[in-house]
Amino acid sequence: MTALVIAETVILAVLCVLVAGLLRGYAAVLRRLHQLDGGASAGPPPFRTVAAIPEPAAGQRIEGRDEWAESHDIEGTSLRGEIVSVRTVGVEHDTIVAFLSSTCEGCAGFWHELGEPGSWTTPQGSRLLVVTKGPEEESPSVLSQLCPDGVDLVMSSQAWADFDVPGSPYVVVADGRTGRVKGEGSGLSFSQVSGLIRVSVEDSRHPALAHKPDADRRRERDVDRILLSAGIGPQDPSLYATAEQDERP
Amino acid sequence: MKPLTENRLTGHGLAVALPARWEGRLYRRTVGEPGAVGEPGAALRAPSTRSTATGWPGELSHPVLHLANFALPASRGDYGTGAVERMGPDNIFVALLEFGPDCLGTALYSPRGVPRVRPGQFNPNGMQRRVAGQAGFQHFFTEANRPFCLYVVIGSHRQAVRLAERANEVLERIEVQHAG
Repeated sequence: MTALVIAETVILAVLCVLVAGLLRGYAAVLRRLHQLDGGASAGPPPFRTVAAIPEPAAGQRIEGRDEWAESHDIEGTSLRGEIVSVRTVGVEHDTIVAFLSSTCEGCAGFWHELGEPGSWTTPQGSRLLVVTKGPEEESPSVLSQLCPDGVDLVMSSQAWADFDVPGSPYVVVADGRTGRVKGEGSGLSFSQVSGLIRVSVEDSRHPALAHKPDADRRRERDVDRILLSAGIGPQDPSLYATAEQDERP
Repeated sequence: MKPLTENRLTGHGLAVALPARWEGRLYRRTVGEPGAVGEPGAALRAPSTRSTATGWPGELSHPVLHLANFALPASRGDYGTGAVERMGPDNIFVALLEFGPDCLGTALYSPRGVPRVRPGQFNPNGMQRRVAGQAGFQHFFTEANRPFCLYVVIGSHRQAVRLAERANEVLERIEVQHAG
């Protein structure tokens, strides 16, 4: 009887060791998969810099999507006194937010073209939203003369602050799915900026980008981020091999 | 992706905490002077005299709440004309319209409380104007001593079970304050 109990205890101990080993191996596989998929890593980045370029510090946080500023939902009032809550985050469509004012001279081209549908186009499936500052900083009566019927206008000083708008006119393209700003800038009219907007939106939908694995995209963004943080921008000479390096076998 | 937030829409004695992906608009038609926008001859007036009024002179306007899980256009009818035409099969449009105190106590408005919808209540003929694939539901009730009409449109009658569930998620968040 004693021998049987001892034998069972030994078998149980061996099984425990086996199970612990299997769990440990499984954890190692998961950890490795996580790293391969671009998951957060406390280790150094998966590349080495050339001589004279400082290595980024180990453990530096890598999150490629931070390259795009955050988008924000917009809350305010319409010219008809509607209380409005517009989603730009977590929706299927992109939102083109035109920050305009009744007093800015540079906005004249935008207001003019709003009244001429067909003279310019927004990318298919996107939504156009004109955002002015709130009624306390704007003239609703002047805006009602400038803004044609049917144009979605929201008065919201909060939105100007949220998007950190430097001045008007200013156009932001909010990516609905990621909740990020994928393009922004100024111009003289919608027809001028709509070409840039279209390219930005179509680029993001291009199959070459759309079908790239997430891990690849994140890795590319990680590399860009780290290079930029080291002061290396596009066209930096250090990014290109010298003739001497080219000749090296 | 940025975390989805719960926005809150408040005004005219109504409030709703909008679930993620839902947006809303709350208004009460402004009563215009004779010849206001939408009336005959309005287009002939000089732009400088353009009014933002959306009601007609003498109208007693009441709050209207529109909720949707798609992009609501700027121009919409009270019952969603102009918006429901843009709906996809996964979309839902909710309109809550208040009526005048003269409706209080009438049989039509006798049900109490903001209702919840059931899949079987949706009917393609329940639409203000039929749109292929869509179905509508209308219900009159009284909440906080205020008479209301609830009108819900779903983008796909075939998906009524799933969409009714989603519609109820937003309906249960509607708060009505007592009439002052």
